[in-house]
Amino acid sequence: MLGVSGHFCRLTGWCVAGLLSAGLLGLFLLSLALVGAQALTPSHHLSLSDVARLHSFLSQSFTDLESAYYSIVGLTKLGANVADQRIPVSNETRDILLAAVSEDSTVAQIHRAVGALSSLGLPLASQEVVAALTARINKEDNVMAITLALHTAARLSAQADFVGILEEIEDLTARLDDLGGVYLQFEEGLEATALFVTAAYALSDHVDMEPPLKEDQVIQLVNSIFSKKSWDSLAEAFSVASAAAAFSSNRFHVPVIVSAQGPATVSHSQPTLQLLVTDVLSQPLASASVLVESAYAVASKSVILSQAPFTLNDGVFELNFMSSQPASGYYQFTVAVTGDSRLIANHVELKVKVSTEVAITNMDLSVVDKDQSIGTKTTRVDYPSKAKSSFTADSHQNFAMSFQLVDVNTGVELTPHQTFVRLHNQKTGQEVVFVAEPDSKNLYKFELDTAERKSEFDSISGTYSLYLIVGDATLENPILWNVADVVLKFLDEEAPATVQPKTLYVPKPEIQHLFRKPEKKPPTVVSNTFTALVLSPFLLLLILWFKLGANISNFSFSPSSILFHIGHAAMLGLMYVYWTHLNMFQTLKYLAIIGSLTFLAGNRMLAQKAVKRIAAEQSSRLAKYRSLR
Amino acid sequence: MAAFGLLGNNVILLVSLASMLQCVSADGKTLVLLDNLNIRDTHSIFFRSLADRGFDLTFKTADDPSLSLIKYGQFLYDHLIIFSPSVEDFGGNINVETITSFIDGGGNVLVAASSDIGDPLRELGSECGIEFDEEKTAVIDHHNYDVSDPGEHTLIVADPENLLKAPTIVGKPTNKPILFKGVGMVADPDNPLVLDILTGSSTSYSFFPDRPISQYPHAVGKNTLLIAGLQARNNARVVFSGSLHFFSDAFFNSAVQKATPGSQRHEQTGNMELAEALSRWVFKEAGVLRVGAVTHHPVGETTPPAAYTVTDLVEYSIVIEMLSEGRWVPFDGDDIQLEFVRIDPFVRTYLKKNGGKYSVKFKLPDVYGVFQFKVDYNRLGYTHLYSSTQVSVRPLQHTQYERFIPSAYPYYASVFSMMAGLFVFSVVFLHMKEKEKSD
Repeated sequence: MLGVSGHFCRLTGWCVAGLLSAGLLGLFLLSLALVGAQALTPSHHLSLSDVARLHSFLSQSFTDLESAYYSIVGLTKLGANVADQRIPVSNETRDILLAAVSEDSTVAQIHRAVGALSSLGLPLASQEVVAALTARINKEDNVMAITLALHTAARLSAQADFVGILEEIEDLTARLDDLGGVYLQFEEGLEATALFVTAAYALSDHVDMEPPLKEDQVIQLVNSIFSKKSWDSLAEAFSVASAAAAFSSNRFHVPVIVSAQGPATVSHSQPTLQLLVTDVLSQPLASASVLVESAYAVASKSVILSQAPFTLNDGVFELNFMSSQPASGYYQFTVAVTGDSRLIANHVELKVKVSTEVAITNMDLSVVDKDQSIGTKTTRVDYPSKAKSSFTADSHQNFAMSFQLVDVNTGVELTPHQTFVRLHNQKTGQEVVFVAEPDSKNLYKFELDTAERKSEFDSISGTYSLYLIVGDATLENPILWNVADVVLKFLDEEAPATVQPKTLYVPKPEIQHLFRKPEKKPPTVVSNTFTALVLSPFLLLLILWFKLGANISNFSFSPSSILFHIGHAAMLGLMYVYWTHLNMFQTLKYLAIIGSLTFLAGNRMLAQKAVKRIAAEQSSRLAKYRSLR
Repeated sequence: MAAFGLLGNNVILLVSLASMLQCVSADGKTLVLLDNLNIRDTHSIFFRSLADRGFDLTFKTADDPSLSLIKYGQFLYDHLIIFSPSVEDFGGNINVETITSFIDGGGNVLVAASSDIGDPLRELGSECGIEFDEEKTAVIDHHNYDVSDPGEHTLIVADPENLLKAPTIVGKPTNKPILFKGVGMVADPDNPLVLDILTGSSTSYSFFPDRPISQYPHAVGKNTLLIAGLQARNNARVVFSGSLHFFSDAFFNSAVQKATPGSQRHEQTGNMELAEALSRWVFKEAGVLRVGAVTHHPVGETTPPAAYTVTDLVEYSIVIEMLSEGRWVPFDGDDIQLEFVRIDPFVRTYLKKNGGKYSVKFKLPDVYGVFQFKVDYNRLGYTHLYSSTQVSVRPLQHTQYERFIPSAYPYYASVFSMMAGLFVFSVVFLHMKEKEKSD
């Protein structure tokens, strides 16, 4: 047993020497990289609020072995004192953990059990773990398994064979994907990357050997692990917490996060530049010392400060930058953080803003005739009051405005980024913005040619509120000043385009169909009179017949004559029905039936009549003959 | 036993039918193009909310050589998310043209840009009527920037009042301000389909933060679009956000407070709600309408005739449904209009909600021809609903005219007296017995 451990120790020693030379080579490469690619600095870390959220995320109540492990170990990493009964550990949980350490368990289960046990300070049966683990180290070739093996190895005091495992760190490093030169992560995801970092540093600390990671790679790993601020699972949150702990407390690489307290701004009211120098968990690095290597104005490139130290004051590094009397604008700082050989990314470029306050002076407003620009009356307005009377400008006049912008603190004339003149029509809500530009003496002049600019106003005359907007990133008091009301009168006041594109989405006007009105009819008296006139011949006929003694005495009630007259009447009736109801084809059908019947009946009736008449004639002729005789 | 098996089959059928109804939509295949895969982590909340809602997300870097949107004339994805502002050339066979034809084919696209905007996205914007400002510019607002602004006043606090007033697109009204950091846009004034979803304030403008203003800025004041949308005529939807950070976890969880003294502090931004509402709209989970059964018939009957007659009283009804959480529910609107059109509309009237359907009774115009019942409902935030049903309207038949016009009574009287005369005359003529002359 002793012999075995000694063998391991010797192997470890050999490996340390090998890695040391690799590490030196790495350092050399790193310094080359630093010269080449200037200043890759961590862009992501865990702010205090992130740490708090992570803490609360991990403080969920746990139900099984996995969640128990993640919560307990994760919170330990964040500095919470778990053994202090903040997370109660029942005897059952302890039994579950101990039972998990067996040769039948997978690497992951062994690993978690070992981790939880050691975090809780419970006795750990190292020999069993070694036996279970060594069988599986090289079996699986995926990132997670190797990472877990690394991690478990770091837990196992000096009894494991580290040679093969240490080589795995370098192999895994080569497998990392570089994303845009800013991020470095495994394609398996964030969790794998974070766990790898944890394991690599844990094992490196364990064997006291610098891990084969370049400075740029460390920073890229920091970026990729801490860029995610919202964690999907307990496991992921745990891995981030572990990696954060590894980055802040290992023996080789501690990435420095230099950030300004609040915005990186100094002004006359706030003359000191306050920097927070922390590790990735936002814990201040009290042992560090901070030095401005150089500071130059971005606009003029002139160096204003060099080799000035920051003073540590209650965890915040301070520098009174205003004492070197910088003009307002941006300054590029190169800050070096020293005091610990482990520090990484300790040369930081910072953009510091010197801000000031602006005042508007000599605000003159006037309406100038285009023909004779002499003798115009100018009105002076003082900030922040509004001109008492409104100005009126028609198409023959220009509205003019001039003013100066000065620094309240130094009296120097300023030319801020934003110097806009906004005209706002209260009625239509339309706004038109112009840019006011300074002349060579930094006097701002703005002239509005109403005739020329009418298209921008859509030729809508009316009262416009005139605002002056002054703003700059280096101004502490942006100005939005309603200077005056201006009445603009445009010459050809066309009807403004009423059809707006937005009418696409509103209901259209209703349409009621206008029905044709019936034509006016002539008075009915006329038609009634003529109706009577038209009917009168028929009446006359009847009357005359009556007088003449018309009769139907010859009517014989034979079926044929009845049928004929009924048929005749029916045909006439059919004509009436045709007029009111039927169409021609129906009428023809009925007419054929009635007509044929009537024809036959008529024929028969006339035949009978003829027979009767001939008989009567014969008899009368006979009678005549007899009388003649 | 056989009966039992049959029963089992029926149950299975029912269950499968129910599950089909359950997931009407929101199972769209979505391609997500990223600048780098780390964006998946920094924007995890947004992607998770999409995945939770059933979208099948495929993450690819924008320069992945295996990218493909169309294969053998078929679209491989229903939706496209472009979260790769700085891309200079898309990989594979994706380019601005294929994305445009994807939109023309009905695909929905969500684009997020940033100050590092590359040419392809600017071109895509121009195709959709949106002009991005130049690379390296940013929307600046010295009056409405966040307290945590790093120094250039480009971390903008957008008031919710500047949001488009369309709850289908931007969600329920809220007072939470929106954080924005990115590039500005302006809408093409000739394109009426562009929607100003979120505009800057009057004091905002878009320019290079580190250069003095030498020319008139690309976007100024309320013309500055922070988020713009477009619903094409084929109902494909596109949303452009000038800010990729807008969708990030950091902005979702951040507190927000304007830097001007005395501003109210909000513990959370409105970004998450807005981003979710926007994604619901752009990926057709919200504001989707469809036409159900359309019926029309004369009042008092139940079936439509072969042809209507002018001035008939007609009842028209239509069922309109809206997609809500994957189900079709009756749509509730009070401004749906029916048009009765022969080239031009002759009648335009509002439909009244009547149970599950919309209906109206109206009198057909006294003009004959081939007409259409047309419902053309185009409202902000909803898909364009269009339904037309063709019917013919014929003039009165000869029996349907007025038979006895008072003015024409002399004609009728003359005809009828003629007929009566004929009858009486025929009777008298045939059957009169003449007196004996000899008497």
